[in-house]
Amino acid sequence: MESFLPVLEAAFAPGNLAWILFGVTLGYLVGALPGLGKGTATAVAIPLTFYLSPLAAIAFLVGIAKGSTAGSAVSAILLNTPGEPSSTPTAMAGYPLARAGKAQKALKMGLFASVIGDLFSTIVLILVAQELAEYALGIGPVELTGILAFSMVFIAGLSGRSMIRGLIAGLFGILVSCVGLEVETASPRLTFGLIELYDGLPLIPVAIGMLALSEMMIQMGQRRRLEQEADLLRGSGRREDRVVTLGDWRRSARAILRGCLIGTGVGILPGLGASVGSFLSYGAERRASGRGVDFEETGAIEGVAAAESADNAVVPASFVPLFAIGIPGSVIAAILIGAFTIQGITPGPLLFLENRDLILGVYMSMMAASLFLLLIGYFGQNVFARIVRISPALVMPVVVFLCCLGAYLQGGGVFGIGVMAVFGVIGFFAKKYDFSFVTFLIGFVIGPSFELSLRQTLGLVTEFSELMDHPVALVFGALAVFGVWRLTVLQRRQHEAMVKDRP
Amino acid sequence: MPKSDLIAGIVLLVFGLAMLAVVIPTQTSEGGDATISPALLPQICAVGITGLAVLLVLQAAGRLRRGHPAGVRVPTAEWWAMLAVLLAIGAAIALFVRVSPAVAAALLIAGPMLYMGERRLWLLVGIPAVLLVGSWLLFYRVLGTAIG
Repeated sequence: MESFLPVLEAAFAPGNLAWILFGVTLGYLVGALPGLGKGTATAVAIPLTFYLSPLAAIAFLVGIAKGSTAGSAVSAILLNTPGEPSSTPTAMAGYPLARAGKAQKALKMGLFASVIGDLFSTIVLILVAQELAEYALGIGPVELTGILAFSMVFIAGLSGRSMIRGLIAGLFGILVSCVGLEVETASPRLTFGLIELYDGLPLIPVAIGMLALSEMMIQMGQRRRLEQEADLLRGSGRREDRVVTLGDWRRSARAILRGCLIGTGVGILPGLGASVGSFLSYGAERRASGRGVDFEETGAIEGVAAAESADNAVVPASFVPLFAIGIPGSVIAAILIGAFTIQGITPGPLLFLENRDLILGVYMSMMAASLFLLLIGYFGQNVFARIVRISPALVMPVVVFLCCLGAYLQGGGVFGIGVMAVFGVIGFFAKKYDFSFVTFLIGFVIGPSFELSLRQTLGLVTEFSELMDHPVALVFGALAVFGVWRLTVLQRRQHEAMVKDRP
Repeated sequence: MPKSDLIAGIVLLVFGLAMLAVVIPTQTSEGGDATISPALLPQICAVGITGLAVLLVLQAAGRLRRGHPAGVRVPTAEWWAMLAVLLAIGAAIALFVRVSPAVAAALLIAGPMLYMGERRLWLLVGIPAVLLVGSWLLFYRVLGTAIG
């Protein structure tokens, strides 16, 4: 208990709490703006963390991720424009409510469901991550190679609609991670004589380019649509249309519980992402209600609750594989690896041994962020409802500037901006042609670990029969092969069904 | 989306072959006493990309033959937006090197604002000014670092 007190002191120090509060507010604000999601928000905020303590830096970024996930419900409900794809079900169930004058009720239920989902998932993270890390400590390079290969296949298959394109994106990410000095011989590789590339391509400019800049290019091209969608919110004078009543809670309690479980499960599995969680939860509630299309025509408070609880439960749960094994399961987790690296910390099972206080502090900060989420969302509701109507012509140039600032600070000056611009263009085409940028980023992040463990494996295992001494690696290798086959078959069936349904 | 898959597949095929035939051999050393060649992982990736690109092309060609719709077409407005952003960044870099960071940053904000149809002078001047002063205060004063 005594050793826990300094952790509590650090986590609840006014300075740390102020950064969490700032993070949640900033995240909520960015999430509420149409077209801006948690990836963009977290990526452009990285420069602010360079000069913070590790705990404040991670807590700040986690606050942004949590805030923007919850905030994206605001534009989804008020404008029918989801801040990011995972809020689409919220828009489907919430926008009709807003049109019927029940916007405040929908926003409040969305907020409460978000906070419950987030808190539930944070508790699961705290309970599960360390246990998993203890198992992970017994993993050797051969096993790690198998696990990383399996994770890549899993992420490639599930984060997009095509296994082939997912695998290409992942392999491209690993290829790009090979740029720089090679790990064993320290000889330059794929550097084209540029000394700036000897340290490899910097993660933050690459991430900002792929996530934020490319998104801005696309959104700026769709500015007319975004402006047209700015509809006026019609308020209602009736109190029961503005507050969440006991009846609403009764209708939504089961949806929230199911959303928490679905979101947490989806978050723990690398690559599935928040959209899968919110759509699954929304679909399950829609089926359970038996209301069919009426759900979208008149709106459904329980639909908002189902989607938001799952959407928000995904974020903390996606840190389980990051903290326990060092594998980023989502874009936010990949960006957090960058933040950990800046602070000189390597995520993975050793985190609980070498940086135990930091992790405990992060857990406490995550709980505090959940509380701030509730306060900021509840008391700032009217302010955020106005902010969503700010013209994209004012917001997007500011984001472009912040992208350049972040890339400049972390990428070695103008060179970083150049790297960001190149990956902005790559990200633009990746998004338009459905090559998963999530898989690319995760491939880029795990590339160096994969290469190191592959080299060690090739040194340790010289004959195929020696693999029999590594059953865990064999199982994951087999699962990777099975995953490629199974996911390809499933995607082909989905595609055929889609073609058949087409008029 | 067979047509866009076909185009993407061909581009990736050319990329993969170029990596295997030209870039990796010329940009990777032999490795000397290294147990495993430094080119191993890039080669694995390039072979994988090339092989998967062939599959993508074959799959797309098959779908096109069966008369599936052509698929994704990037709207002209999005092409222009991409070019506008790149142009603003390029011009800002040139101004950063030759004139001053403040002018470069102002152009980086005001340029895209103009492109997006903002014509109110007070906003075109005010937003860059507020952002520049805010960034300066945050990074120099609060966080204690230096930019530019």
